[in-house]
Amino acid sequence: MLQKLKRSNRLLVEPPAAASGDIAFNLIVFFLVCASIQPDRGFKQTIPRSETQNEQKQDEPQNIEIQLTRTAVLINGTNVPIAEFVGRLRSQLSGKTRPEDRVVIVKSQKDTPYKHWIDVTTRIEEAGGIVTLQMEEERTVTLPQ
Amino acid sequence: MRCDVPNTAMGDIAFNLLIFFVILARAQDDSHLHWNPAQAEKLESSGNSVVSVLVDSENKLYLNGSEIGISQLADRIEELLGNMPAGKRIVLLKVHQDILAQRFEPILEAISEAGGDLVHILEENKTSTPK
Repeated sequence: MLQKLKRSNRLLVEPPAAASGDIAFNLIVFFLVCASIQPDRGFKQTIPRSETQNEQKQDEPQNIEIQLTRTAVLINGTNVPIAEFVGRLRSQLSGKTRPEDRVVIVKSQKDTPYKHWIDVTTRIEEAGGIVTLQMEEERTVTLPQ
Repeated sequence: MRCDVPNTAMGDIAFNLLIFFVILARAQDDSHLHWNPAQAEKLESSGNSVVSVLVDSENKLYLNGSEIGISQLADRIEELLGNMPAGKRIVLLKVHQDILAQRFEPILEAISEAGGDLVHILEENKTSTPK
Protein backbone atom coordinates (compact mmCIF):
# COMPACT_ATOMS: atom_id res chain seq x y z
CA MET A 1 0.00 0.00 0.00
CA LEU A 2 2.80 2.31 0.98
CA GLN A 3 4.69 1.41 -2.17
CA LYS A 4 1.68 2.29 -4.38
CA LEU A 5 1.31 5.75 -2.88
CA LYS A 6 4.95 6.51 -3.50
CA ARG A 7 4.64 5.60 -7.18
CA SER A 8 1.63 7.87 -7.81
CA ASN A 9 3.41 10.82 -6.21
CA ARG A 10 6.28 10.40 -8.60
CA LEU A 11 3.91 10.68 -11.63
CA LEU A 12 2.67 14.13 -10.61
CA VAL A 13 4.83 16.44 -12.71
CA GLU A 14 4.18 20.13 -12.33
CA PRO A 15 4.94 22.40 -15.30
CA PRO A 16 8.03 24.48 -14.63
CA ALA A 17 7.18 27.92 -13.27
CA ALA A 18 9.67 29.49 -15.69
CA ALA A 19 7.40 28.52 -18.63
CA SER A 20 4.40 30.55 -17.42
CA GLY A 21 5.90 33.75 -18.84
CA ASP A 22 6.26 32.11 -22.27
CA ILE A 23 2.72 30.74 -22.14
CA ALA A 24 1.28 34.13 -21.18
CA PHE A 25 3.25 35.87 -23.96
CA ASN A 26 2.06 33.38 -26.57
CA LEU A 27 -1.55 33.73 -25.45
CA ILE A 28 -1.34 37.55 -25.69
CA VAL A 29 0.16 37.40 -29.19
CA PHE A 30 -2.42 34.84 -30.31
CA PHE A 31 -5.39 36.94 -29.19
CA LEU A 32 -3.86 40.17 -30.57
CA VAL A 33 -3.48 38.59 -34.01
CA CYS A 34 -7.00 37.13 -33.86
CA ALA A 35 -8.41 40.58 -33.04
CA SER A 36 -6.47 42.37 -35.77
CA ILE A 37 -7.44 39.99 -38.60
CA GLN A 38 -11.18 40.28 -37.95
CA PRO A 39 -12.79 41.21 -41.29
CA ASP A 40 -14.15 44.76 -41.50
CA ARG A 41 -17.86 45.38 -41.72
CA GLY A 42 -19.32 47.77 -44.22
CA PHE A 43 -21.95 48.85 -46.68
CA LYS A 44 -21.78 47.82 -50.35
CA GLN A 45 -22.70 50.50 -52.83
CA THR A 46 -22.93 50.32 -56.58
CA ILE A 47 -22.16 53.60 -58.22
CA PRO A 48 -22.49 53.61 -62.02
CA ARG A 49 -19.35 54.33 -64.05
CA SER A 50 -18.92 58.05 -64.51
CA GLU A 51 -19.81 59.63 -67.79
CA THR A 52 -20.08 63.20 -69.01
CA GLN A 53 -23.61 64.31 -69.72
CA ASN A 54 -24.08 67.38 -71.82
CA GLU A 55 -27.81 67.40 -72.29
CA GLN A 56 -30.68 65.30 -71.06
CA LYS A 57 -32.39 63.20 -73.68
CA GLN A 58 -36.09 63.84 -74.29
CA ASP A 59 -37.22 60.27 -73.52
CA GLU A 60 -35.23 59.95 -70.27
CA PRO A 61 -37.38 59.77 -67.13
CA GLN A 62 -37.34 62.65 -64.70
CA ASN A 63 -35.35 61.37 -61.71
CA ILE A 64 -35.62 62.44 -58.09
CA GLU A 65 -32.89 64.86 -57.11
CA ILE A 66 -31.44 64.95 -53.60
CA GLN A 67 -29.35 67.92 -52.59
CA LEU A 68 -27.05 67.69 -49.61
CA THR A 69 -25.76 70.63 -47.65
CA ARG A 70 -23.56 70.56 -44.55
CA THR A 71 -26.48 69.63 -42.26
CA ALA A 72 -29.66 69.53 -44.35
CA VAL A 73 -31.21 67.37 -47.07
CA LEU A 74 -33.53 68.53 -49.86
CA ILE A 75 -35.75 66.35 -52.06
CA ASN A 76 -36.35 68.10 -55.40
CA GLY A 77 -35.53 71.41 -53.72
CA THR A 78 -37.73 70.95 -50.62
CA ASN A 79 -36.05 70.74 -47.23
CA VAL A 80 -37.01 67.48 -45.48
CA PRO A 81 -36.31 66.58 -41.83
CA ILE A 82 -34.01 63.55 -41.70
CA ALA A 83 -36.53 61.54 -39.65
CA GLU A 84 -39.15 61.87 -42.43
CA PHE A 85 -36.72 61.33 -45.30
CA VAL A 86 -37.24 57.59 -45.95
CA GLY A 87 -41.04 57.87 -45.84
CA ARG A 88 -41.14 60.83 -48.24
CA LEU A 89 -38.71 59.22 -50.68
CA ARG A 90 -40.52 55.87 -50.54
CA SER A 91 -43.82 57.55 -51.43
CA GLN A 92 -42.16 59.33 -54.38
CA LEU A 93 -40.66 56.06 -55.61
CA SER A 94 -43.88 54.06 -55.22
CA GLY A 95 -45.19 52.74 -58.51
CA LYS A 96 -41.78 53.00 -60.17
CA THR A 97 -40.71 49.48 -61.02
CA ARG A 98 -38.03 49.95 -63.68
CA PRO A 99 -34.49 50.43 -62.28
CA GLU A 100 -33.94 53.53 -64.47
CA ASP A 101 -36.97 55.16 -62.85
CA ARG A 102 -35.64 54.46 -59.35
CA VAL A 103 -32.38 56.36 -59.97
CA VAL A 104 -31.89 59.07 -57.36
CA ILE A 105 -29.43 61.79 -58.28
CA VAL A 106 -27.34 62.94 -55.32
CA LYS A 107 -25.75 66.39 -55.51
CA SER A 108 -23.56 67.36 -52.57
CA GLN A 109 -22.24 70.75 -51.67
CA LYS A 110 -18.48 70.85 -51.26
CA ASP A 111 -18.70 71.13 -47.47
CA THR A 112 -20.93 68.07 -46.94
CA PRO A 113 -19.24 65.79 -44.39
CA TYR A 114 -18.86 62.08 -45.13
CA LYS A 115 -20.95 60.99 -42.10
CA HIS A 116 -23.93 63.03 -43.36
CA TRP A 117 -23.47 61.73 -46.92
CA ILE A 118 -23.37 58.11 -45.71
CA ASP A 119 -26.42 58.63 -43.51
CA VAL A 120 -28.46 59.97 -46.44
CA THR A 121 -27.25 57.49 -49.10
CA THR A 122 -27.97 54.49 -46.83
CA ARG A 123 -31.49 55.87 -46.32
CA ILE A 124 -31.94 56.29 -50.11
CA GLU A 125 -31.07 52.62 -50.63
CA GLU A 126 -33.39 51.65 -47.78
CA ALA A 127 -36.22 53.51 -49.53
CA GLY A 128 -35.50 51.53 -52.70
CA GLY A 129 -33.61 54.18 -54.66
CA ILE A 130 -30.46 53.70 -56.75
CA VAL A 131 -27.79 56.22 -55.82
CA THR A 132 -26.15 58.13 -58.67
CA LEU A 133 -23.68 60.92 -58.07
CA GLN A 134 -23.73 64.18 -59.90
CA MET A 135 -20.57 66.18 -59.52
CA GLU A 136 -19.66 69.60 -60.70
CA GLU A 137 -17.21 69.41 -63.55
CA GLU A 138 -14.05 71.45 -63.09
CA ARG A 139 -12.94 73.34 -66.15
CA THR A 140 -9.75 75.25 -66.74
CA VAL A 141 -10.29 78.41 -68.72
CA THR A 142 -7.30 80.24 -70.16
CA LEU A 143 -7.96 83.92 -70.55
CA PRO A 144 -6.43 85.72 -73.52
CA GLN A 145 -3.61 88.05 -72.49
CA MET B 1 30.97 22.47 -23.27
CA ARG B 2 28.04 22.03 -25.65
CA CYS B 3 24.72 23.70 -24.96
CA ASP B 4 21.62 22.43 -26.86
CA VAL B 5 18.34 24.26 -27.38
CA PRO B 6 15.78 22.40 -25.24
CA ASN B 7 13.31 20.36 -27.30
CA THR B 8 10.38 21.69 -25.30
CA ALA B 9 11.00 25.20 -26.69
CA MET B 10 10.57 24.07 -30.32
CA GLY B 11 6.79 24.40 -30.16
CA ASP B 12 7.02 27.96 -28.85
CA ILE B 13 9.58 28.92 -31.48
CA ALA B 14 7.47 27.47 -34.32
CA PHE B 15 4.36 29.23 -33.03
CA ASN B 16 6.10 32.61 -32.81
CA LEU B 17 7.54 32.21 -36.33
CA LEU B 18 4.09 31.34 -37.65
CA ILE B 19 2.55 34.47 -36.11
CA PHE B 20 5.43 36.61 -37.37
CA PHE B 21 4.83 35.47 -40.97
CA VAL B 22 1.04 35.83 -40.66
CA ILE B 23 1.54 39.49 -39.68
CA LEU B 24 4.07 40.05 -42.49
CA ALA B 25 1.67 38.56 -45.04
CA ARG B 26 -0.80 41.35 -44.38
CA ALA B 27 0.84 43.56 -46.99
CA GLN B 28 -1.91 46.16 -47.29
CA ASP B 29 -1.93 46.96 -43.61
CA ASP B 30 -3.20 50.46 -42.83
CA SER B 31 -3.81 49.97 -39.12
CA HIS B 32 -1.23 52.64 -38.25
CA LEU B 33 -3.37 55.37 -39.85
CA HIS B 34 -5.74 57.48 -37.78
CA TRP B 35 -9.39 57.72 -38.87
CA ASN B 36 -12.82 57.52 -37.25
CA PRO B 37 -15.42 55.64 -39.29
CA ALA B 38 -18.89 57.03 -39.92
CA GLN B 39 -21.79 55.08 -38.43
CA ALA B 40 -24.57 53.15 -40.14
CA GLU B 41 -26.96 50.29 -39.51
CA LYS B 42 -27.29 46.81 -41.00
CA LEU B 43 -23.69 46.38 -42.03
CA GLU B 44 -22.40 43.24 -43.65
CA SER B 45 -19.01 41.58 -43.79
CA SER B 46 -16.84 43.23 -46.41
CA GLY B 47 -15.12 40.04 -47.58
CA ASN B 48 -11.53 39.75 -48.76
CA SER B 49 -10.03 42.51 -50.81
CA VAL B 50 -6.65 43.37 -52.29
CA VAL B 51 -7.41 47.09 -52.46
CA SER B 52 -7.97 49.40 -49.53
CA VAL B 53 -8.36 53.17 -49.98
CA LEU B 54 -8.18 55.34 -46.87
CA VAL B 55 -8.58 59.05 -46.15
CA ASP B 56 -7.26 59.82 -42.68
CA SER B 57 -8.19 62.57 -40.24
CA GLU B 58 -5.53 64.83 -41.81
CA ASN B 59 -7.23 64.59 -45.22
CA LYS B 60 -4.40 62.48 -46.69
CA LEU B 61 -5.19 59.75 -49.22
CA TYR B 62 -3.64 56.28 -48.94
CA LEU B 63 -3.79 53.20 -51.15
CA ASN B 64 -2.95 49.98 -49.27
CA GLY B 65 -1.20 52.01 -46.57
CA SER B 66 0.98 54.14 -48.90
CA GLU B 67 0.22 57.79 -49.61
CA ILE B 68 -0.98 58.51 -53.14
CA GLY B 69 -2.34 61.44 -55.17
CA ILE B 70 -5.92 61.50 -56.48
CA SER B 71 -4.72 61.73 -60.10
CA GLN B 72 -2.98 58.33 -59.87
CA LEU B 73 -5.69 56.55 -57.90
CA ALA B 74 -7.90 55.15 -60.70
CA ASP B 75 -4.94 53.74 -62.65
CA ARG B 76 -3.34 52.14 -59.58
CA ILE B 77 -6.63 50.52 -58.52
CA GLU B 78 -7.17 49.18 -62.03
CA GLU B 79 -3.64 47.76 -61.99
CA LEU B 80 -4.19 46.06 -58.62
CA LEU B 81 -7.56 44.61 -59.62
CA GLY B 82 -6.18 43.32 -62.92
CA ASN B 83 -8.50 40.81 -64.59
CA MET B 84 -10.45 39.88 -61.49
CA PRO B 85 -14.04 38.89 -62.28
CA ALA B 86 -16.98 41.08 -61.26
CA GLY B 87 -18.00 40.44 -57.67
CA LYS B 88 -14.39 39.90 -56.60
CA ARG B 89 -13.22 43.41 -57.52
CA ILE B 90 -13.89 44.64 -53.99
CA VAL B 91 -12.39 47.99 -53.01
CA LEU B 92 -12.59 48.89 -49.32
CA LEU B 93 -13.12 52.60 -48.73
CA LYS B 94 -12.28 53.96 -45.28
CA VAL B 95 -13.00 57.65 -44.93
CA HIS B 96 -12.69 59.69 -41.75
CA GLN B 97 -16.22 60.79 -40.78
CA ASP B 98 -15.57 64.55 -41.04
CA ILE B 99 -13.94 64.56 -44.50
CA LEU B 100 -15.79 66.82 -46.94
CA ALA B 101 -17.46 65.96 -50.27
CA GLN B 102 -14.90 67.90 -52.27
CA ARG B 103 -12.33 65.33 -51.08
CA PHE B 104 -14.23 62.01 -51.07
CA GLU B 105 -16.39 62.40 -54.20
CA PRO B 106 -13.45 62.31 -56.66
CA ILE B 107 -12.29 59.13 -54.84
CA LEU B 108 -15.70 57.50 -55.41
CA GLU B 109 -15.44 58.52 -59.06
CA ALA B 110 -11.93 57.02 -59.34
CA ILE B 111 -13.08 53.69 -57.83
CA SER B 112 -16.06 53.61 -60.17
CA GLU B 113 -13.81 54.44 -63.15
CA ALA B 114 -11.46 51.56 -62.22
CA GLY B 115 -14.43 49.16 -62.17
CA GLY B 116 -14.17 48.43 -58.45
CA ASP B 117 -17.01 47.10 -56.29
CA LEU B 118 -17.21 49.75 -53.61
CA VAL B 119 -17.59 48.82 -49.93
CA HIS B 120 -17.71 51.68 -47.41
CA ILE B 121 -16.12 50.52 -44.14
CA LEU B 122 -18.31 51.82 -41.33
CA GLU B 123 -19.08 51.30 -37.68
CA GLU B 124 -22.32 49.64 -36.56
CA ASN B 125 -24.73 52.21 -35.13
CA LYS B 126 -26.85 50.73 -32.37
CA THR B 127 -28.60 53.93 -31.25
CA SER B 128 -30.02 55.30 -34.48
CA THR B 129 -32.46 58.10 -35.27
CA PRO B 130 -35.94 56.97 -36.41
CA LYS B 131 -36.34 56.38 -40.14
